[in-house]
Amino acid sequence: MYLLDRVSKVFDGRTIAVNELDLKVRRGEKLAMIGQSGAGKTTLFRMLNLTIPPTSGTLLFDRLDIGRLAGRRLREVRRRIGTVYQQHNLVPRLQVVHNVLSGKLGAWPLWRAVRSLIRPAEAELAYEALSQVGIPEKLYDRTETLSGGQQQRVAIARTLVQNPEVILADEPVSSVDPALAAGIVKLLIELSETYRKTLIMNLHSVDLALAHFPRVIGLRDGKISFDLPAAEVTDDHLATLYAGSEAETAEEVPSRAEPHPVRSCQPHLTS
Amino acid sequence: MPGQETSIARRGPLGRPRRTRPGTSSRSGSPSRDLGQEAPRVPVTPLGEVNWTGTRRSSYFPVVFSVLFLLTFVGSYRLAQVEPLLLFEAEGRRNILKFVSGMFPPDLSWSFLSLLGRPILETIQISLMGTFMAVAIGFPIGLLATSSLTFKGILNEREMAASRPRAMLHRASYLLARAVLSLFRTIPEFVWAFMFVRAVGLGPFPGVLAIGISYAGMLGKVYSEILDHVNPGPLEALQATGASKLRIILYGLMPQALPNVVSYTLYRWECAVRASAILGFVGAGGIGQQLEISMRMFNFKQVFTLVAILFVMVAGVDALSARVRRAIMGRERI
Ligand SMILES: Nc1ncnc2c1ncn2[C@@H]1O[C@H](COP(=O)(O)OP(=O)(O)OP(=O)(O)O)[C@@H](O)[C@H]1O
Ligand SMILES: [Mg+2]
Repeated sequence: MYLLDRVSKVFDGRTIAVNELDLKVRRGEKLAMIGQSGAGKTTLFRMLNLTIPPTSGTLLFDRLDIGRLAGRRLREVRRRIGTVYQQHNLVPRLQVVHNVLSGKLGAWPLWRAVRSLIRPAEAELAYEALSQVGIPEKLYDRTETLSGGQQQRVAIARTLVQNPEVILADEPVSSVDPALAAGIVKLLIELSETYRKTLIMNLHSVDLALAHFPRVIGLRDGKISFDLPAAEVTDDHLATLYAGSEAETAEEVPSRAEPHPVRSCQPHLTS
Repeated sequence: MPGQETSIARRGPLGRPRRTRPGTSSRSGSPSRDLGQEAPRVPVTPLGEVNWTGTRRSSYFPVVFSVLFLLTFVGSYRLAQVEPLLLFEAEGRRNILKFVSGMFPPDLSWSFLSLLGRPILETIQISLMGTFMAVAIGFPIGLLATSSLTFKGILNEREMAASRPRAMLHRASYLLARAVLSLFRTIPEFVWAFMFVRAVGLGPFPGVLAIGISYAGMLGKVYSEILDHVNPGPLEALQATGASKLRIILYGLMPQALPNVVSYTLYRWECAVRASAILGFVGAGGIGQQLEISMRMFNFKQVFTLVAILFVMVAGVDALSARVRRAIMGRERI
């Protein structure tokens, strides 16, 4: 699905966020990305979803060189990629239903987009997506009145409505409680399995990454530190990945946790 | 956004020195500046060897600017012959007293008041139509004059990189829009009215045109400033779903900017009521025409009545717009 060849991103001519990165992701693959804060995960995602162009290197999406795309063709490719943002990026003043349905904006003709602001078109679709993330009752609430975790789930619902081929989830569970987090990760994985969607997820929780994803990539200083099946990731790998971070001095280097049963997730999430 | 930094499990905290602004994580700050201009090709060196020097902007600017401003201020005070004491000298005092005492009692005779019905209505109509026209002209031009929509920042990052001619075109339309808005604003509404009276004759219509054009300049500029300062995060997210610019404006930009846009437009309407009084002086209808006549005849009793009426009108518009504003923003979360 993706083929990256020596892709770099340099900000302001001095901050190297992604450094000559090679990466191959097959269609339908599920992979987790871990790494310190500032390792370049979000920057990589913004290149993968065609928001920012790489400073150098080539990026192929579905064997398509997207470097020169513009206008309608660019939008058509973007439509096939769904992103769940770390900061949710919802419009606070809009009702939840509009935020969820905005996943459809790429597909809707303009008149329907306009009319939907007055009377939501396909409200059932939004309801269904919200049910999947467990907050259907919030459909007509103002988005800014929701808690952080609820907003995060609205953002996920927006991507569900968009129904893309690739889901890029940037810390999709950073503001929900651990039980719910596991539930949401599982939901996204199930979804990608059933519909053969490609799923790439940034996670700060090493446990979640190792427990749920067949392939785990460690990113450090904009480079790939390791790219392994979850079973082959050792404590050494993790120590290198997080070396020099404050966590190390605090004797808190993440390590392979004892395989503990994933805490019960909320019933409506297991559907 | 709440909770953006709370992780549910262990994470690598800030390791090496990062250049993010505290509190904002990665890119929520101001992409327009961060992403607008990057050197297209930078030799990629290992992280430790990045050249940090020479890229910092000089910090002399605030100091130099402050000094210049102070000098200008002092200079202006002298050159503009600001002498507050003049107001309190015998001569000035006497004239003011004469002017004020001449206002009493205000002229409330029926013969005068009955003349005012039409001008009052006309003033309201001029201000309303003028503001409406200003919005109709100012909003589209304001959109073009919004840099984050036309050529800067996250919504244009990719498109601008993809094609140079397109980038130039966008930048040109931005500059043109700004120039037009400036022109509209530089010429005072008084002068606009003067010209339109020549063009279309006496009456309220030249007043409408004058307010429409000059206020379009002000509204357009302020709209563009408001739109430039909305949170770009949601816009980026909408763009990533494949939404076009127009749809991003509808679903991301306008909902965020609406309170400020409405609020400022209502304020401009209030100003238009006041302005339409002045425009009467050059024959553009409304209550101003009557004001001009009374002033010319040194009938301060009538002037008092007219000013009082104007005051009531402005206060009324103010109260009305406060209600509208509340209706829109009252649902805000506390
Ligand atoms: N728009 C930008 N302008 C300048 N520098 C940026 C920008 N976005 C990111 N960076 C820099 O790029 C580096 C990587 O940032 P990025 O957001 O990709 O990290 P991350 O791995 O997502 O971190 P986190 O886990 O905290 O979300 C950081 O040093 C950051 O300061
Ligand atoms: Mg990030």
